[in-house]
Amino acid sequence: MAELPDAVGEPAAAEAPTLAVEDLTAGYGGVIALRGVSLSMGQGAITAVLGANGAGKTTLLRAISGLVRVRRGAVRLDGTDVTRRRPDDLARAGIAHVPEGQGVITELTVEENLRLGALCASGRTSRADRSAALAQAYEQFPALAARRRKPAATLSGGERQMLVIARALLARPRLLLLDEPSLGLAPKIINQVMTLIAGLRQSTGLTILLVEQNARSALTIADQGIVLAVGKIVATADAATLASDTGLLRHYLGL
Amino acid sequence: MQEFLEFTLGGISFGMIYAAIGLSLVLIWRGTRILNYAQGAMAMFTTYIALIVINHTGNYWAGFFVALAAGLVLGAVCERVVRPAEGKAPLNAVLVTIGLLILLEGLAGIIYGGQFRSFPAAFSITGLHIGGTALGIAWNDVFVAGAVLAAALALAVLFRYTPVGLRMRATAFNSGVASLLGVRVGRMLTLGWALAGLIGALAGVLVTPNTFLYPNSMDSIFVLGFTAAVIGGLDSPAGAVVGGLILGILLNYVSGYLGSDLVPIFGLAALVVVLMLRPSGLFGATATRQV
Repeated sequence: MAELPDAVGEPAAAEAPTLAVEDLTAGYGGVIALRGVSLSMGQGAITAVLGANGAGKTTLLRAISGLVRVRRGAVRLDGTDVTRRRPDDLARAGIAHVPEGQGVITELTVEENLRLGALCASGRTSRADRSAALAQAYEQFPALAARRRKPAATLSGGERQMLVIARALLARPRLLLLDEPSLGLAPKIINQVMTLIAGLRQSTGLTILLVEQNARSALTIADQGIVLAVGKIVATADAATLASDTGLLRHYLGL
Repeated sequence: MQEFLEFTLGGISFGMIYAAIGLSLVLIWRGTRILNYAQGAMAMFTTYIALIVINHTGNYWAGFFVALAAGLVLGAVCERVVRPAEGKAPLNAVLVTIGLLILLEGLAGIIYGGQFRSFPAAFSITGLHIGGTALGIAWNDVFVAGAVLAAALALAVLFRYTPVGLRMRATAFNSGVASLLGVRVGRMLTLGWALAGLIGALAGVLVTPNTFLYPNSMDSIFVLGFTAAVIGGLDSPAGAVVGGLILGILLNYVSGYLGSDLVPIFGLAALVVVLMLRPSGLFGATATRQV
């Protein structure tokens, strides 16, 4: 595995998982959307979160990144309890959350969006590091380099997805939370995005929690899959096993 | 022609003051979607502070800079007062900021009394001439326009070229995404109000030599500043400056050619016309924005 991203503080124990979610219960107002969910991810793992609409997939990501109030349970990042910390605090600590479909700040230019990502890591990186990282991002995503001074609103759907992923990487995260990266994209572009995500793990050792409607695509790049239904985990298995379990996928995902 | 030149140049100086108030309103509106009705009262209050400092020290510039600093602090404090109303129904914030307006004007009356006080100008207010031609402006008007322009440019540089400016703009456009990128949104909003307080305080000390200082002295300036911001589109700092200039020059023509009694009516009429014809302003970015 290549170079690891900067660690956040000292891990509590050498072998603490990058992300540990323990008995997590969370919801909006009076509605509980997530009940007693637990999962654990080691460094460099990709876990796909599958489930029908309203199963609690997005809520799981939002609870981990601090956007939804956690009622019970804990979230640990590298062994450190980060439950109920503010989203901006968690972002600076190394949790990059790419929300569904609306992550680009359209009024800012492509470059300004990317600089915000780099600034997120400013507590842990030097100015020189950040400009080097920005240059590297442009190398990796030439389409973005060509449009760096354009408002992000002018990008296509696929380019926007590239932009939010590139921006998330510039924050040097320990953990990347991706919510429906394939939403609204053409099938060909979906494959590109999935290849990109798989490549990230290869090149950076990033730990990725991936929420996807598109279960088949997600399972091709994930090691592990979990299936949520009505806020609870109903199945956890390695990705290949899940992908071949047509009965389970049909029952919970209608595939 | 001579009159036209005088009225135009004189209008620029007034226009820059409306621009400053407009700019302060835009700074707050962009970040919080709140129209700060207390902006004029805040400027009035910091101008009293300036007057006290000037009277004690005998130094205009001491009062000038203390007022700006006081504006910064007062802006930040007011944001904390208004914060519970942020993101709620718009009426909540309207009531809170009008409450602040009444509170500040009441406090000013209690502390300083209601009488009209004159406030010194920074520079000479004798009219300038080129050759035998009166320009209709004095050095102080040049200073007023220059000071507001400098403040506006400094803000533009801050927003365009600094990390904190980028974070503030990200917060203004999409605070949810900004927080996911590690931006301390609350702190950015406080900073936005603080800067608005500073720009408002600048407008207060610049305009008051023309108006006298009393607890309501900024009310009509506030309305015209608001009109300037609306002409510019409420979302655009550059729009507020342009809106202020247009309004200042037009109203100075009204004052010069038709009589100064008509200025308040034309100011309000301008507001109504803009709201009817182009509610999103000349620089209307609001149309493309989800609020």
